[in-house]
Amino acid sequence: MTQVSPVIQVQDVSFSYNREPTLTNLTFEVPEREFLAIIGPNGGGKSTLIKLILGLLEPNHGRILVKGRSPRKMSKIFGYVPQDVNVNIQFPIAVMDVILMGRLRHRGHFGINKQDRQRVMELMTMTGIPGLENRKIRDLSAGQRERVFIARALAADPDILILDEPTASVDTAGKTELYALLKDLNETKTIIVVSHDLMIVSSYVKSVACVNQGIHYHPKNEITETMLQMGYHCPVELIAHGQPHRILKTHGDF
Amino acid sequence: MIEALQFEFMRNAVFAGLLASILCGIIGSFVVVNRLIFLAGGIAHAAYGGIGIAFFFGIPYIYGTIGVSLAAAFIMTAVTIKAKNRQDTFIGVLWAVGMAMGVILIDLTPGYHVDLMSYLFGSILAVPSADIRWMAGLGAVTLVLTILFYRDILAISYDAEFARLRGVPVNLLYFIYIALVAVSIVFIIRVVGLILVIALMTIPPYIAEKYVRSLMMMMVLSVLLSVVFNMTGLWVSYHMDLTSGATIIMVAATGFFISLGVDQVISFSRKRKTQRSSRKMLKTKKDAL
Repeated sequence: MTQVSPVIQVQDVSFSYNREPTLTNLTFEVPEREFLAIIGPNGGGKSTLIKLILGLLEPNHGRILVKGRSPRKMSKIFGYVPQDVNVNIQFPIAVMDVILMGRLRHRGHFGINKQDRQRVMELMTMTGIPGLENRKIRDLSAGQRERVFIARALAADPDILILDEPTASVDTAGKTELYALLKDLNETKTIIVVSHDLMIVSSYVKSVACVNQGIHYHPKNEITETMLQMGYHCPVELIAHGQPHRILKTHGDF
Repeated sequence: MIEALQFEFMRNAVFAGLLASILCGIIGSFVVVNRLIFLAGGIAHAAYGGIGIAFFFGIPYIYGTIGVSLAAAFIMTAVTIKAKNRQDTFIGVLWAVGMAMGVILIDLTPGYHVDLMSYLFGSILAVPSADIRWMAGLGAVTLVLTILFYRDILAISYDAEFARLRGVPVNLLYFIYIALVAVSIVFIIRVVGLILVIALMTIPPYIAEKYVRSLMMMMVLSVLLSVVFNMTGLWVSYHMDLTSGATIIMVAATGFFISLGVDQVISFSRKRKTQRSSRKMLKTKKDAL
């Protein structure tokens, strides 16, 4: 593998909400233009790890660097799609205004202008929701809302795109579309995606990390035995047909 | 009503009602979309402690209530940010302590006893000109801040984490708006009283929320509804010689139930429409067969 400078460095990071440790002694680096899938059991700390990288949480121990600086200082570099897109669903807000949030303080300019609206329309076409700009967010389907949130993340022109289970409420055809879009975006952006979805792990990502209090980082798109052992089993939707050996290495395959 | 306007107290009442409407509409919408109704109730009741302090130490009423309501608001907000799952308990405690402190301090003040009823139900007919100036200033500050920082306020209310990533000073703006909530409550108490301040802050935004597609429109519609409720209430109370605060709330409540009725009619006619169109579709399918 060619040596690419890391955009994210996680150095001996530990974090706990209460007494129980959520994450302990995590150390890994994410190189530039990586496409990383984070898998792991529920409650294993995937979302927590993402919030630490985004600077929304502070580690109790260790440090995280984004392009050599603290995540809080670099927060605008991120495009973030949170896990729960149904939060605040009764809020009186139109799709356009949600996506425009991604343009807040864009390149230092205050307020929203014509170009921002133009860009939102482009992004809506790109994410497969053209013409919905004046619809209320509560009138959309969960899958459409998911796309609105992806468009909002992209509106910030981020260098690093972080998605927390972005396909949870999208149908199979929609998933393929979204993964293809992410693959295109990966030409210029670093992408981290939390997913339980085998499809994305097998055919789109460049590396896989299993997070369950600790981390097992694997710089190939495979799930290794170690991952399965550390998480008892990583809850990947293992489907038998297709090419399972691409996903799961067999014993003695080293 | 027109002939009544020749009295200064009546003119002040109208101004107070209009200014309270601007505050209720804007601040009330913020309170409703951020689900801060319980916090607003806590501030309103804790503020009674400020009355006690003002009387006991002989300082103007307004400084006592503003001081205590701001202090209560900041403590409640700090707790909300630090320990989210404990905030309702904490607000409940401050709510009670503020009230109790007010009652005891007024007991301890010799001679003079305030009219508790006017604090509970307001006295729009007795709002002094100085208060009108305060409210006008507060209304202007609220209006300018909301127009300037509209996109930020919207982002904070909808998704604070995302707003933080975009570099919006989330905590600072949140504290400023909570302070506006606290001070607005003090003045709206003058109009409709402690018990009913929450009703006037939540009923217009609640009605407005259902019919609009933006926070801005929600604020505008809430202000308009508030004006209608305040002026109608004032007019009815003047002609029927009723307590103004309670009358204003009854008018607002009537508006609330009318809106619920309108919703029923709308959803009923929608159902009829879809039923009819699905029947039509079935029929055309049958015909095609």
